[in-house]
Amino acid sequence: MADITAGTDHAPRQSLGEWVDRHSGRIMVLPAVVILLCFAIFPLIVSAYLSLSRFKLAPGGFILTFIGDFNFRRLLLGAQQYHLLGTFKPFGPLEWGLLAIAVAAILYGLYRYATTRFTVMGFIGRLISAAFAIGIVLLVLATYFAGGIPGTLPNTLFYVLAGVTLQFLLGLGLALLCAKPIRGRNFFRVLFFVPLMVTPVGIAYIFRMLADMQKGPFAPVAQFLGVGEWSWAVDPWWARAMVILGDTWQWTPFIFIVLLAGIENQPREQVEAAHLDGASAFQIFRDITWPAIAPIAATVVLIRLIEAFKIIDIPNVLTAGGPGLATESLTLHSFIAWRTQDLGGSASVGYILLFVSTITCVSFFNYIVQRTRRYQ
Amino acid sequence: MKFKHCLAGVAALLATSAMGPLAQAGEFDGVTVNIMTQTGAIQEPLQRRAPEFEKLTGAKINVIAVPFSDLYQKVLTDWASGTNSVDAAVFAPQWMVDYIAGGFLEDLTDRVAKEPKIKQDDVGAFFRDFSEKYDGKIYVLTFDGDFHMMYYRKDVLDAAGLKPPTTWDEYLAVAKAVNGKDMDGDGQPDFGSCIAKKRNAQSYWFVTDVVGSMTQSQGTSQGTFFNTKDMTPLVDNEAFRKALDFLKESSKYGPPNELNMDVSDTRPLFTSGHCALNLDWGDVGTLSVAPDSKVKGKWGAAVMPGSKQVLNWDTGKLEDCTKDNCPYAIDGVNHAPFAAFGGWGGGINAHAQDKVKDAAFAFFAYMTEPEQSNIDVTIGATGFNPYRTSQLQYSDMWSKAGMTEDEAKNYLGAINDSMSSPNMILDLRIPQNQKYQQVVLDEAISRFLSGEIDEEATVKAVVDGWNDLNDQIGKEDQLKIYKATIGAK
Amino acid sequence: MSARDERPLGRRLFEPRTIHSQAIIPQIATYVVLLLWSVIVIAPLYWVAITSLKLPGHVANGPFYLPFVDFMPSLDAWDFMLLQNNTLGPYINSVVVALSSTILATLIGSLAAYALVRIQFHVKIAAVACFLLLLVALIVAVYTFGVLWEIALAVAIVLFFLFLGTIGRRFKRGLGNGDIEFWIISNRIMPPIVAVLPIYIMFQQIRLLDTQVALIATYTAVNLPIVVWLTRDFFAGIPIDLEESAEIDGASRMRVFFTIALPLTRSGLVATFLLVLILAWNEYLLALFLSSANAQTMPVLVSAQNTTRGPQWWYMSVLIVIMIAPVVAITAVLQKHIARGLLVGAVKG
Repeated sequence: MADITAGTDHAPRQSLGEWVDRHSGRIMVLPAVVILLCFAIFPLIVSAYLSLSRFKLAPGGFILTFIGDFNFRRLLLGAQQYHLLGTFKPFGPLEWGLLAIAVAAILYGLYRYATTRFTVMGFIGRLISAAFAIGIVLLVLATYFAGGIPGTLPNTLFYVLAGVTLQFLLGLGLALLCAKPIRGRNFFRVLFFVPLMVTPVGIAYIFRMLADMQKGPFAPVAQFLGVGEWSWAVDPWWARAMVILGDTWQWTPFIFIVLLAGIENQPREQVEAAHLDGASAFQIFRDITWPAIAPIAATVVLIRLIEAFKIIDIPNVLTAGGPGLATESLTLHSFIAWRTQDLGGSASVGYILLFVSTITCVSFFNYIVQRTRRYQ
Repeated sequence: MKFKHCLAGVAALLATSAMGPLAQAGEFDGVTVNIMTQTGAIQEPLQRRAPEFEKLTGAKINVIAVPFSDLYQKVLTDWASGTNSVDAAVFAPQWMVDYIAGGFLEDLTDRVAKEPKIKQDDVGAFFRDFSEKYDGKIYVLTFDGDFHMMYYRKDVLDAAGLKPPTTWDEYLAVAKAVNGKDMDGDGQPDFGSCIAKKRNAQSYWFVTDVVGSMTQSQGTSQGTFFNTKDMTPLVDNEAFRKALDFLKESSKYGPPNELNMDVSDTRPLFTSGHCALNLDWGDVGTLSVAPDSKVKGKWGAAVMPGSKQVLNWDTGKLEDCTKDNCPYAIDGVNHAPFAAFGGWGGGINAHAQDKVKDAAFAFFAYMTEPEQSNIDVTIGATGFNPYRTSQLQYSDMWSKAGMTEDEAKNYLGAINDSMSSPNMILDLRIPQNQKYQQVVLDEAISRFLSGEIDEEATVKAVVDGWNDLNDQIGKEDQLKIYKATIGAK
Repeated sequence: MSARDERPLGRRLFEPRTIHSQAIIPQIATYVVLLLWSVIVIAPLYWVAITSLKLPGHVANGPFYLPFVDFMPSLDAWDFMLLQNNTLGPYINSVVVALSSTILATLIGSLAAYALVRIQFHVKIAAVACFLLLLVALIVAVYTFGVLWEIALAVAIVLFFLFLGTIGRRFKRGLGNGDIEFWIISNRIMPPIVAVLPIYIMFQQIRLLDTQVALIATYTAVNLPIVVWLTRDFFAGIPIDLEESAEIDGASRMRVFFTIALPLTRSGLVATFLLVLILAWNEYLLALFLSSANAQTMPVLVSAQNTTRGPQWWYMSVLIVIMIAPVVAITAVLQKHIARGLLVGAVKG
């Protein structure tokens, strides 16, 4: 990375101060680049190597044996497929129908892109995203829909999709309400921000306390409703819902606070003019507020997407991944593998997570975030 | 220099004569020992005794606690990577084999021989011969006697006219009969059976309890996990399937969220009077007489239930007990008490500085001395259970702990029955046993109990998983080590 | 507001008179929803606060809600955690690690962001490819052939500079500022679980495992992309004439950065600082891997309260409360900056 040419000319002799000044551009960027090389690029390569090998303890330390793509084959096609991807069931008519619709929609999108504004790089990028999307659709249909058992990858996708959607809707709703002419807006703003400050491990334990139907605060409610004998922890969907609940409690504030700032910044004159013209609240939102905050909304969702893929603390503490595999996320999967010395397996799961989240986030950035900005 | 040394020695001698026990005062001035263990129980006694020990010897004991689930790997990575921040650890002897494979654990054989205050003869034979040792050498000092027992509510069973179950079938029958009765007087129905079945916790040990009583009948060295002929998993057979049935059936008489309960949930449940039957380690006994217990005087303990049928290893079928296939049967029932986990013990990092090693050993010796240990094992909060023969007699220490003579006799009797059984099951101690149990077995059981997979798929998952691991790690080596740990020929 | 509303009741209830006010029913509805959400936010925190005052018996024997009313609060847990347990060590670790790494990340990140906004860079693709190839070769050499890493690193650096001259003349295609920015930001996508093992090995090689330094360096790296992402737009928003006039007066770029650019973007920097501080303060997974005895941080201590005997809720609650308190205080003081700062950062990202 040393070959960074800042727009300066070389002078034959220079004092140290001049030298620093001349190269100030490089000097300013260098620390960041070096740190990221050490902590991002280097680990990525070592991790790739780990994922292709087997770790074994030996006197005085450990040995790494190169085993090729064994770990990946095991996870994607072999003995561990049920764990990462899930157990598949054959498609019924519903699944075939849904698949057809999804594939048709994706192909139509590609077609439109190819006929309107075609660039080679853009098309390749879209081809990758489309292939990836079809793969995900297949996976989700074969596990969640056809009666199969989802593995850690579909679980993570569910957390990301359901969690971020819920958090966005709640955050947006609260921000819209808070932007109304009300008293105590600053109070609400600070209060609603607080959950973000609690350490995720702490949140996980707090929700475990709250969700205890025997000794938790809701025990009397559960008794009253006659569900004291019932447990959320044994039902896969309720267990997943609890995880989402904790995640939502923590992250809604983040979306809320950013969107609120965006709404407060929208063009007031336009809103007032529309109001005088008799536009309904919904129309004002659709025509003025939404276009104004769309870029912020897209960015904030992107930030959330990136973080949501890394979920581990809450499922780990609430259910330790149970019942069965129902709440295990990819990071938790990788973590459990690490805990039992399977460093190769742990690294391969991590790599698959990196692959999935990168394609998702980059696609989101290119197709949604960039577009909302273009229209501004 | 020499003179100074001499002076210090004299001073120390004087101090010792005044202070009494073990190590010399000031012997370890300025030495800090980092000891890693799990949080809560186990941490408590170490932390409580650390200042006492510092006063005696000058060594500062720094107890670092991590959650149980991270302990194995934390210690391992610290030692394997050469970081060596951890000078000693209190852990499960089951993990010893992995630590020894890397040469991380100090051989303590000579030190133990030179330290009469440990009173090694008094330590239960099972712990002395199996838990503390590997390949004939002592690597760990036992602080805790760990095996599974059954706990029951005397009052509830009496009221229903039932006897404490001695077989798994009886266990289910009793659980069924009393399930739904009010056992703590609050008018709410309570549960017939409480077993910790949470994933990534302790549930897999309870499977072995049940399987073992059917697969192992010829004594500890017969083994219960693998066929000692060729390392075939003892899983694809009627015994394992019956154990799965048992677990599933017992869930019907348990709390609704039993699948999300580890022992930390079931223990308070039993001591607060919500369960008629419970399987657990010795801790439940001391917790049941703790100040906040609601079952004082109402509980009993017994050796783990057994089976009237045992497995024919060759055919994979269950056969009725006879003199030949169940030599240790009591009233026709084959019991196989399970030394699950094997009892917390202290081991020392072989790469620590000599002075630190000495201090660590002195501290561990101090902990295990009867003077300290006999008190600690009577306190529920320590997590330590009796492991010395002298602790099994009813004495002042038990009455001080709040146990009536009846309770203590019953509790200690159950411990004695288990500890002295020649058919005790030794926990799996082959390299990477974590993967066999905590990953493959635990995950399969959890998926089975939650209904994700059926019985056949569960059997297949465990067989395939264990065979896969055998092949990866080396079947012949694993077989050799497996036979060595259980003392099979 | 002062003039009497003459409209019929129905309309008065549902329709606002002006955009700056709300009709009664929507207003009530707004407050109800906001208060409801306040309860949702506060209830778990309240439960933590009162649990920290409970004894184990209070927790085990069913829910108790009000101190002094249905249970007698006790300071036992506070006493144990603050006076007997070694809580101070991890707390100091957390403070030192979070503050140092946040300051470093903000400083290094904003420097880089400023440079990327103001100076055109041109990085040759060939140089990057050459660098990556050498890095792979280095790692393979160390792990497969057992070459000492110090030697391999030295050889790799020498080779890199040797190749650089030749390549520089042959291939001209390069990456611009946008590409560098995207690369920096994309590092945030990487899940920590992928990187943590190699980072562990790295620190072990240089004997820094289980030290505050290791955590500070790692957190700085992990949060750097966020800083660059958010701050670049603050700098882009500064009118360039100010800086230019300063430069004409002979100020160096560094000086311009510290005396003009930084003060002008105060709000945004404060918001960024706070967000990164919160992330660093609460981070758990990396701390779990990289610390054992000496550098343990608070989140690790919190999770360590889960024992085979069950989570010790009372201790855990004390820890959570003392972890939240300072952050809430800081946020309340700085709250105006946060909203403004995050907005600018997020608009253009």
